Amino acid sequence: MTAVDPAGAGPDGSARDRLQRPPAEIRYAEELAALRASDTDPRPPGWQLSLRAARRFVVGDEERGVSRKFVGDTALVERALVALATNRGLMLVGEPGTAKSLLSELIAAAVAGDSTLVVQGGAATTEDHIKYSWNYALLVSEGPSERALVPAPMLKGMAEGRLVRFEEITRCPLEVQDSLLSLLSERVLAVPELDGPAGMVFARQGFNVIATANTRDRGVNEMSAALKRRFTFETVFPIPDLDTELALVEAESTALLRRSGVPVAPDRDVLTVLVTVFRELRSGTTGDGASADRLSSVMSTAEAVSVAHAVGVRGWFLRGGPGDAADLVTCLAGTAAKDSPEDLARLRRYLEQRAASRGGAPWKALHAARHLLAG
Amino acid sequence: MSVTYLGVRHHSPACARLVARTIERLRPAHVLVEGPADLDGRLDELLLGHEPPVAVFSHYRDDERSATSWTPLCAYSPEWIALTRGRAAGAEVRFIDLPAWHPAFAGRANRYADAELRYAEATARLRHRFGVDSTDALWDRMIETDPDAPDLAERLEAYFDAIRGDTEADPSDRAREAYMAEWIRAALAAAGDRPVLVVTGGFHRPALRRLVETGGGGARDRDAAARGGARAGVEAAGPDTDAGAGTDAEAGEAGTGAGAAVVAAAEARPGPGAGAAAEARPGAGAGGAGRGAAVWPAVPAPPEGALSGSFLVPYSFRQLDSFAGYESGMPSPAYHQWLWEDGPEAAGRRLVRTVAGRLRNRGHPVSTAALVAAGASAAALAALRGHPVPGRLDLLDSLAGALVTEALDEPLPWTRRGPLRAGSHPAVVEMVAACCGDRVGRLHPDTPVPPLVHDVAGRLAALGLDGTAPVTLRLTAPDGLERSRVLHRLRVLGVPGYERTAGPADGTDPVVEERWEPRPGAGREAALVEAGAYGARLDDAALVALGDRARAAADDCGALAAVLFDTVVCGATHLAGPLVTRLRAGLASASAPGPLGSALATALGLWRHDRVYGVARDPLLAAAVDTAVTRLLWLVEGTAPGGRGPSGGPDRTRLRALVAVRDALLHAAPLLSVSREAAADVFRRVAADPAAAPDLRGAAFGLVRVLSHPPRPGAGAEPGVADAVRAVAAPAVLGDWLAGLFAVAREELADGDGHTGDGRAGEGHAGDGGTGAGGGTLVGVLDELVVAMSGTDFLIALPALREAFAWFPPVERERIAARLIERRGLRGSARALLRTTADPLDLARARTLEDHVSRTLDGLGLGAAG
Repeated sequence: MTAVDPAGAGPDGSARDRLQRPPAEIRYAEELAALRASDTDPRPPGWQLSLRAARRFVVGDEERGVSRKFVGDTALVERALVALATNRGLMLVGEPGTAKSLLSELIAAAVAGDSTLVVQGGAATTEDHIKYSWNYALLVSEGPSERALVPAPMLKGMAEGRLVRFEEITRCPLEVQDSLLSLLSERVLAVPELDGPAGMVFARQGFNVIATANTRDRGVNEMSAALKRRFTFETVFPIPDLDTELALVEAESTALLRRSGVPVAPDRDVLTVLVTVFRELRSGTTGDGASADRLSSVMSTAEAVSVAHAVGVRGWFLRGGPGDAADLVTCLAGTAAKDSPEDLARLRRYLEQRAASRGGAPWKALHAARHLLAG
Repeated sequence: MSVTYLGVRHHSPACARLVARTIERLRPAHVLVEGPADLDGRLDELLLGHEPPVAVFSHYRDDERSATSWTPLCAYSPEWIALTRGRAAGAEVRFIDLPAWHPAFAGRANRYADAELRYAEATARLRHRFGVDSTDALWDRMIETDPDAPDLAERLEAYFDAIRGDTEADPSDRAREAYMAEWIRAALAAAGDRPVLVVTGGFHRPALRRLVETGGGGARDRDAAARGGARAGVEAAGPDTDAGAGTDAEAGEAGTGAGAAVVAAAEARPGPGAGAAAEARPGAGAGGAGRGAAVWPAVPAPPEGALSGSFLVPYSFRQLDSFAGYESGMPSPAYHQWLWEDGPEAAGRRLVRTVAGRLRNRGHPVSTAALVAAGASAAALAALRGHPVPGRLDLLDSLAGALVTEALDEPLPWTRRGPLRAGSHPAVVEMVAACCGDRVGRLHPDTPVPPLVHDVAGRLAALGLDGTAPVTLRLTAPDGLERSRVLHRLRVLGVPGYERTAGPADGTDPVVEERWEPRPGAGREAALVEAGAYGARLDDAALVALGDRARAAADDCGALAAVLFDTVVCGATHLAGPLVTRLRAGLASASAPGPLGSALATALGLWRHDRVYGVARDPLLAAAVDTAVTRLLWLVEGTAPGGRGPSGGPDRTRLRALVAVRDALLHAAPLLSVSREAAADVFRRVAADPAAAPDLRGAAFGLVRVLSHPPRPGAGAEPGVADAVRAVAAPAVLGDWLAGLFAVAREELADGDGHTGDGRAGEGHAGDGGTGAGGGTLVGVLDELVVAMSGTDFLIALPALREAFAWFPPVERERIAARLIERRGLRGSARALLRTTADPLDLARARTLEDHVSRTLDGLGLGAAG
């Protein structure tokens, strides 16, 4: 095992602050260490924590001072952990902005103590990024040798028994995706250029894959049935209830605003309207059961947070107060409509007809500000 | 003197086992069960030996409200076990809760819904503390997966104490608890030193204990319980009342029909002093033990003039599973039945086997490897969650993980409450169906028939309909209408043999005669017994059946319109409380403007003009009109599909829908929640939207003019029609636009043209103000545009133009033709101009062909000029 134990030898607090976004095992190093110390339940081979402790790390446990990091179904986290423990790959699918990557990072940090073995899928991803490539200077001078081999995350993970995260797997071309097939079923990676035992890298206990895929990409690079069979699929859904989502948006946007130098907290009424608008345009139904239009652009909680942030910034730096309904309408156009005129039309209709029929001052203000919708 | 309180969850096998064990151990003198106390005299009827699931169906109606509700009992219901095993052990068993008609149950259709779900905050606190997503998951974890745990009673106590905590129950629950406490105190007094067992929902348990120990829940609470017109001072049911007698008695009071007689065999005798304790003898307990001079609480009687009753109906697992939202109890009845019969391991095996079998029957591949994987992960999930054996959620979770290899469109249904949503994965649907099962209960043959059967027989006899001979009814005659309604209600209930062979098809059909040819249908009696679950009276039952149909119709406007019309022909519109809500919900989510428009037109027509069914100005229709108009405005402004684009041609059904909206806005404005100005704003935006379909824009343009006539003071002048036409003069869109305009605003344009001076021959383009401001009259401008078109353009525009002018009746078309002749300074017959020697489209085709030939000749240098 060459993996650095981030809890033990992690950077000190000041170094952590200098990082723009430290990985989960550094952000929550104390919690992980405490959980590991008090963990008495049996651990699956190669795991840093037992299943129960890993669950506790992800969904939180107030009594033990573990914070809640993933606001979603506990059952989903349990199923995900069990899938990994039964040596099936885990595939997290869902709409963009549903915290799939965060969940994969948290699980990797809990299970393997390390969330940094990441393959970022994309149109340009090749097998080299997944398995291994060569240090060409050495390769030319010495020929193929273990020294000249540059391992990619999958080879590292297998050799060291660690969890590998494969982000946006369906963005990769099909033939690249299928290079995972033998890795996941045979649990061995062949390096035909090397002779002897070095030519076959067998996966150690603890190796597994967490992949994420976006349902918006469905059909772009449809996964093969063979590969699908090697994964347990878990669909991550947007937060089901308004109050939880509102609390999350409020907490996250307040933190972001503070970092942007805005001292006033966002207005609760404006946030409520914002989150309600997002939920209704996302689900295509209004609170009273009438159907609205789903927007084709992503109306995720993450986008709601960024709109709330933008609203707060506008309000403070333009007027010196919290953001109001007019700021909200202005910022909505950029997020909700993006470059789609249809979405803009849908949004306009929503503001014209739905906002008008709602009771309450915040909705009236939203309706009154509808003409600010650009485009 | 000791009392044991068992707080249970309704429909929980683990609790049922605990009840059985406790009865075995205690051998109590009295078993008191949460259930309608007005049924105490008829427990023999309940214990005849039915095959569960069965339900006590209760109905109630007074001048203000009507309600129906069920008390479902299955083989593993703790209440059922308390009744059957208690009776077998020689105890006196009794229901001790308020009757179903009591205002404390207003708005509740399922007596055994989980009470705690009405207190979302309390359950949320508990879920949060244990880190689970749903109450069901928590319940499984604590209770159901370990039904034989020796400390089960303590666990239940802890569970419900945590939920109830210091939650303040609502007044209805407090009233019920105060009433139940009275019975417990009475039983304690009667039992002497022998044990008493109380089986109620766990949510009530802490309160009951407190009330009994402190002696609370006295007169003040009871007054609250009796609020809503219930009169105390009633002699409770005597043991000598024959179980069946109640149903056989004829209802005397108010001539309301046989149903009234089933008032729980409790003879209502309004007494002078409310709350006065009345003497009652204990129910017909098998052992007859403990028959002391106990003073049992009075069973509240329904207010005078109200109609209520309860009777047994067969029930099914499907109904048990279908309660949604806070109405729900334990889901997955079939699984719980297996759990009750064979214990958790066997139930789990059976669940997996059933799911795999169902999926394979449907051609869904279920590999052995997948089942092995599911088994492994179920065991791992159970270990992670701390279950001794895999429970229902462990099994379902693991099966979903192994069998679903794609993204889900809807969350797994067992992770949240509510009915299965459309779009759920087919494998998941099969899993839920396997857990639900299709068992249907059966009543013992000696069970008294439901009052509906008597009601129907009475009505048919009174109206001289023996149900065998064909009849022709004139709806305009009062007795004809009454008979038609009765027959329609039977038809709506699905009673075989009642078929109408002729009559009005919908609300706008000008037929006033109906012909019915009833046949002596097989199974008519059985169907009526089954329909008895819908209500005690024919009109109530038909209404409930219509409500079910409305729910099933969802957002299908055609089906909703049919339900609406059936409600009208059943003469039930004034009773249709819950139906209104469902209709509104359905119409409010409709997606196709055409069918919605025809539903609106029918409802509006009946609301305005009906003389046959007596539903003019009816609130149900008014609600439908309002919802449909609001929804249509929403759809119109959206990018509604259908009939778009130049090639599609105008969408006639959509235009008719807009005509219906116009009529509603003009003639039924007081019904609508949307103001005329707001509607005009919508249409103004649509008219100006270049992306909208041309026919829609034309119609919107016309509607703006119609709706702002007379113009609002201070409003800007609407754009002139001539300018607007010039803006859409492209041959591919002109006809569509005009079709929209003529569909909704033909009369206004005809009038406008009249006073803008088109009558003065040849001066159409003089531009003398009025509607033609800024560029001539409509006919004039159109004439200009069409004359200026090239031959090819004209051929493109022709079909849609013809369709546009088809909205004018022949007389008006003739008038337009006359104007065209006048414009050219000619004389001649306008009628002749409209009559061509052949079909104009044939002429157009001929011209196309000629054009093509001459172009080809020109191309080859063989042109006529050559």
